[in-house]
Amino acid sequence: MSVKDTLLTGSAHVNGIDIAYVDKGEGDPVVLLHGFPDSHYLWRHQIDPLVEAGFRVIAPDLRGFGESGKPQEVEAYDMRTIVNDVVALTQHLGIPKAHIVGHDWGAAIAWMYAFLMPRRVDHLAVLSVGHPGVFSTPSIEQRKASWYMLFYQFPGVSEQLLRRNGWRLFKEIMGGEGDHQRYPRELAKPGALTAALNWYRANRSPESELRVEANFPPVLAPTLGIWSTGDKALLEEGMTGSVKFVKGSWRYERVEDASHWIPLDQPEIVTKLLLGFLGTEKAAAVPTRRRRL
Amino acid sequence: MTVEHTGVDVVVVGGGIAGASAAANLAFNGLSVVLLEKQETYQDIVRGEWIAPWGLREAQTLGVEEAFGLGGAWEIREWTQWDETVDPAEAETVDMTRFVPGVGGPMSFPHHEVCALMAEQAEDNGATVVMGAQRAHVTAGTHPEVRWTHAGQEHLARPRLVIGATGRGCTVGRQVGVSMATSVHHWGGGLRVTGLDDWPMDVQAMGTEDEKMFMVFPQGDGNARLYINFPTANRKLYQGPEGEKRFIADFELASLPDRGKAVYSAAKPIGPLKLWPSVAMFPEQPIVMDGVVLVGDEAGNADTVLGTGLSCSLRDTRAVCEVLTGGDDWSPGAFEGYLAERKFRMDRLHFGADIIAKLYCEYGPAAAERRRRARGLMAENFAASVTGLLNMVPPEDVPDFGFSEFFAERLFRERA
Repeated sequence: MSVKDTLLTGSAHVNGIDIAYVDKGEGDPVVLLHGFPDSHYLWRHQIDPLVEAGFRVIAPDLRGFGESGKPQEVEAYDMRTIVNDVVALTQHLGIPKAHIVGHDWGAAIAWMYAFLMPRRVDHLAVLSVGHPGVFSTPSIEQRKASWYMLFYQFPGVSEQLLRRNGWRLFKEIMGGEGDHQRYPRELAKPGALTAALNWYRANRSPESELRVEANFPPVLAPTLGIWSTGDKALLEEGMTGSVKFVKGSWRYERVEDASHWIPLDQPEIVTKLLLGFLGTEKAAAVPTRRRRL
Repeated sequence: MTVEHTGVDVVVVGGGIAGASAAANLAFNGLSVVLLEKQETYQDIVRGEWIAPWGLREAQTLGVEEAFGLGGAWEIREWTQWDETVDPAEAETVDMTRFVPGVGGPMSFPHHEVCALMAEQAEDNGATVVMGAQRAHVTAGTHPEVRWTHAGQEHLARPRLVIGATGRGCTVGRQVGVSMATSVHHWGGGLRVTGLDDWPMDVQAMGTEDEKMFMVFPQGDGNARLYINFPTANRKLYQGPEGEKRFIADFELASLPDRGKAVYSAAKPIGPLKLWPSVAMFPEQPIVMDGVVLVGDEAGNADTVLGTGLSCSLRDTRAVCEVLTGGDDWSPGAFEGYLAERKFRMDRLHFGADIIAKLYCEYGPAAAERRRRARGLMAENFAASVTGLLNMVPPEDVPDFGFSEFFAERLFRERA
C-alpha cells in the first residue's frame, strides 16, 4: 500500500553480489553513483532529462543500499571492491566506456574509478566530494551540529544507538536535509543499517580513504567539480584543490541555495550542468611511453 | 451479492493506533485478521499525537514501536511548564527521558503517518487491510457478524471475535449496546505546523495564560503540533475563516520566552485546524461481551488534557492481544483481567485528569491564584507534582496518595 520509491529496471549478479540498477535510454552511457544513505533514487530528477537529451543512463544501487546486496561484514565495503562492482556492472551491460557522475561516497568511487581505469571513463563529474588527495577538513567552528557527524562519528556509532527512541540520534544527525524522511524507512530494512554503516567502518571517510597513498595516477578525463554553499560537511577547497590531480580539462561550479544534497535541492541546475558538460571536451592523452626509472 | 470472508479469526473495526496495532500483533502471531478502516488513505484528521513513555513500552511489547520512529515520531526530552503567574525565565523544566527503563522521553508524531505504517505492518504480517471500508456493522453474539461495504460491494465476515476500535465515535459500541456517560470540562483545538526553527525541538511547552491552556509538542525539523484548551464559552473563537491565523496568533503569550515569537511569528499550518469538546467518556455497560471487545477511546477515555489516550489504547491492545494469542478461551470470562486492569487504570486517569483540568484549564484570577498556590506547594514538596507522573509512568506505578481526596483537597484548598 505504500508508494515504493524506485525507478529500478533490472538487477544483475556481478562481482559476487546482486546489484539493482536503472538502465534507461539510448546513446552515450552515463553512470550515476549515489552516496550515503541514498540509492539510485537520489538521481530521480536527472534521469529522465538525461535520457531525453540522448544519453543511456545507468544508475545502480551501490552495494549495501536500496535493493542491492547487503553483506554484513565490514571487509565487503572496501573502496576497490565497490569500484569493481561498477566495472563489472558496466561490463555486464556491454559498456566499455562511460561518463561517470558521482555524489558524496559515489563521488569518491567516481574519482577512484577515473584514475584507476582511465580508458573506461569518458567525462567525470563529481559532486560535493573532492579528490582524495586534497587534505581539506572543516574546522570545528565550521561544522554545524548536523550531518557532518556522519563522517566523524559513524565509525564509532552503533546501530542500536542510532535507532533507539524512534531513530532520534539519526534524525538529529540528518536534520531536515536530503530525503531525511525516507532514510530511516530504507535503513530499517533487514541488514540495511549495518550495510550502510559498513561504508564508514571500512573506509573512514570518502576523502581520507586514499590519503596514505600519496601518488595518485592523474585523472585524464575532462572533469567537472560541483560544490554547494550549504554543505555543512565539506569545504570548497576540497573541491577546488582537486584541480592539481586532474590532467584533463577542469571545470568548477559552485551552487548556491543547496545543502549537501545538490541533486535534490537544485535539480534543474545539476541537470543543466551535466548536459552542458558531458561529451563536450577531449580527454588528455593517455601516457603511452613507459616512464624511465 | 455479498462477498463472504471465511476462516477469519478476528475483525478489527477501526484502523487508528489501537486497531492497527492490534491487527499487526495478531497477524504476526498467526491469526487470520481483517482490519477495516473507513478512510481511503490516512489523512491528518487531528488525532492524538503525543505518546507517554509508558505507552511506548506497550508499543514495544506489541512489536509496533518501529512504526512510530519511521512514521516521523520525535522523542521530546524536556517539559517546561510556563504560566502567567511565573516569569518565563523562572519556569521549571523536567527531564522526561528517565522515567521508564528502556524507553526515552515521550514522542510526538504525525498520527496519520504512524497509522499508515502500522496498517502496512499488519498487511506485511498477513492481515487483510481494507481501506475505505464503509458502513461497518457489528452484531455481537457467540457467532458475531461484521458487514461492511467496500467500493459498492457488500462484505460479510463471521469471525470468532470483533475488536471495536472506532475511537470517540463509539460506532461499534453503539451497535452492540454500549452507551457512554459523558462530561465536558472545556474545549480544545489542534493544528500541525512547520517553520518553528527557533523553537528548541527538545522542549515541549505547556502553560496557562488568560483564557488559554497552550501546548507545543515538537516533532523535529521545525514541525510541531500546537494545542489550545479553552473555556466552552469560547468555542466559536477559532471557527470560521482565518481561524488558523487567530489560533497561531494566540501563541503570543507573556508567559513564553520572547512572548512566544518563535511560535506565533513562524508557525505555518501543515494540516487542518480541528476543534472539539474535551469529553471524558464512561461506558455504562460492559465493554466485553460475547464475540466483541472494545479497546481504545471506544471503550471510554479520560479528558484529552492528560495526553494518555494513545498510551491507554496500546495498553488495551496489548492486554486483549495477550488473551487472543495466549490460549483458546476467547469467551468474555477470559477478558476479566483486562476489564479489572482497565477499570483501575481509568479510575486513576479520570482522577488525575480532573486535577489537571481544574489546575490548568480553568481561567480567571481565582484560577490563577489556585495555580500560584499549587506551584508553591510543588516547590516546597515535589510529591505534590504526583499527578504529572501519569504522563510518564503507567497509572499503577504512580503513588497511591496522588489519588486520594485528601491530596486533592490539600492541593486546591484556599488557605495554606
